[in-house]
Amino acid sequence: MSKKIKSLLQQAKLYRSQGLMGEAEKKYKLVEELIKESDQLPNKQKLLNGLSKKIDSLNKEVKAIESAPTTPEMSEHVNELIKKLFSFSSKEKNESETALEGAIALAKFGQFEGALEEFGKLLKVKSQKFSAAKNILRCHLEMGDIESATDQMEKWEKDNMFSSDQLEKITVFFDDIVDKKGLRKELAVSKEPEEKVASEDELENGEEFLDISAVAISFDSGPYKGEQIELDVSFQSGNVISLIISSKDEALIENMKVDARLDDVHFYSPVAIFRGAGIVSAMTQIKSGPKKGDYSLDIKIESL
Amino acid sequence: MAVFNLKKREIECKIVFYGPGRCGKTTNLEYIFRAYKKQVEGEMVSINTEGDRTLFFDFLPMELGKIKGCDVRVQLFTVPGQVHYSSTRKLVLRGVDGIVFVADSLDVRREKNMQSLKDLQQNLKDYGLNIFKIPLVLQYNKRDLANTGMPIMSLEKMEKDLNRQLKAASLPASAVTGEGIGKTLQESLKLTLQSLQKQFNWAQK
Repeated sequence: MSKKIKSLLQQAKLYRSQGLMGEAEKKYKLVEELIKESDQLPNKQKLLNGLSKKIDSLNKEVKAIESAPTTPEMSEHVNELIKKLFSFSSKEKNESETALEGAIALAKFGQFEGALEEFGKLLKVKSQKFSAAKNILRCHLEMGDIESATDQMEKWEKDNMFSSDQLEKITVFFDDIVDKKGLRKELAVSKEPEEKVASEDELENGEEFLDISAVAISFDSGPYKGEQIELDVSFQSGNVISLIISSKDEALIENMKVDARLDDVHFYSPVAIFRGAGIVSAMTQIKSGPKKGDYSLDIKIESL
Repeated sequence: MAVFNLKKREIECKIVFYGPGRCGKTTNLEYIFRAYKKQVEGEMVSINTEGDRTLFFDFLPMELGKIKGCDVRVQLFTVPGQVHYSSTRKLVLRGVDGIVFVADSLDVRREKNMQSLKDLQQNLKDYGLNIFKIPLVLQYNKRDLANTGMPIMSLEKMEKDLNRQLKAASLPASAVTGEGIGKTLQESLKLTLQSLQKQFNWAQK
């Protein structure tokens, strides 16, 4: 028993040193269970106390990681590097395009102050000022500073910075983010959007499923209990895959019933193998053709 | 995307180290930084957060010198591996020319490897790139942990899990000891430059 505990503690220590906190915690919990269940260990309480300290210290570490800022303000050097590395237009061809891309990259990395400075410069460039304006609003709203965003819009309107068409588009853009972020209540003067334009990432493409080429089903009951059966996929439509079961495989046919839940299925995709679950949605005997007499089995993928 | 300057005969390409959180991507770059000092152009930049987790990316520029009459520069990047940094990962992947997928050999990280590979495939697809066509090297990292008695996966199992259909070049490695790191980089560079040769025909014969 003590050997097993030592080994588990050693594993927990190593996982922790690897930064795998969840895995380390699992091992500690396992040790805790073992100690509690054991009748042989003489110093149970002492061991539990020691373990509790280890778990507490692990939790503190996890908390520190989780509460660390996700977008800390970077040095000027790093910001310059981000602009340089993440602007993809050829500088020789279009300097302002490159500058816009660099500023967008800064915003994407959460460097809003630096990005605002760059977008501010681009307001003076005719070809970029419309994009720059939208991004300025986005930065303010990302920082939760709705007041600066509205002040900025009012100023642009007052200064005739944009045509009425452009200004309308900017307003729609602003309203869209405000709604998405649930900031409408915070607007001093609430104004309903005239037109809601879906942004690119809002457009749903429909759920995509990976192509599955084969499956391996593990059975926990029936004639194949404890075994894993591999079958090729003959057809796939969305999350439903069709497999062929030979009429000779009576045991497997017996095991498969419509609505049967398959809790342990390995789905082989061109990319990798994914473990998941499925439900038998149909099973029909093939009436004609070379596979006549065999069964076509449909499995609806429940999870991947 | 790689930049090829025909006049100056210079080519610059981007290789990204991808993989699940804590698999050793940054440790790979740190080893390269130490071991290939001559080729490193400037400093390695790491943007980390608490617990040495990569927050944005690591960046290591290298100058490989003249290869087939062309000055070759390579930018090595790592992505943040933690699941919730998805958009940053995608951003770093933009313009990639070659990928090193660093898989964690620890048994407990099996699912994370698969999820990360799936994430890579999706992100590449979003950029119109095909995981089967892009120069890709799989690195099975942390092989040294076998000596500590930690349960690690066999190379066969990792091949079956991750490389069954990709059939990419794959190597065992230990970023901590440096074993296999140079070979991984060399393989990735070879595949990437071969791929760029098809695109730009940069090499002088």
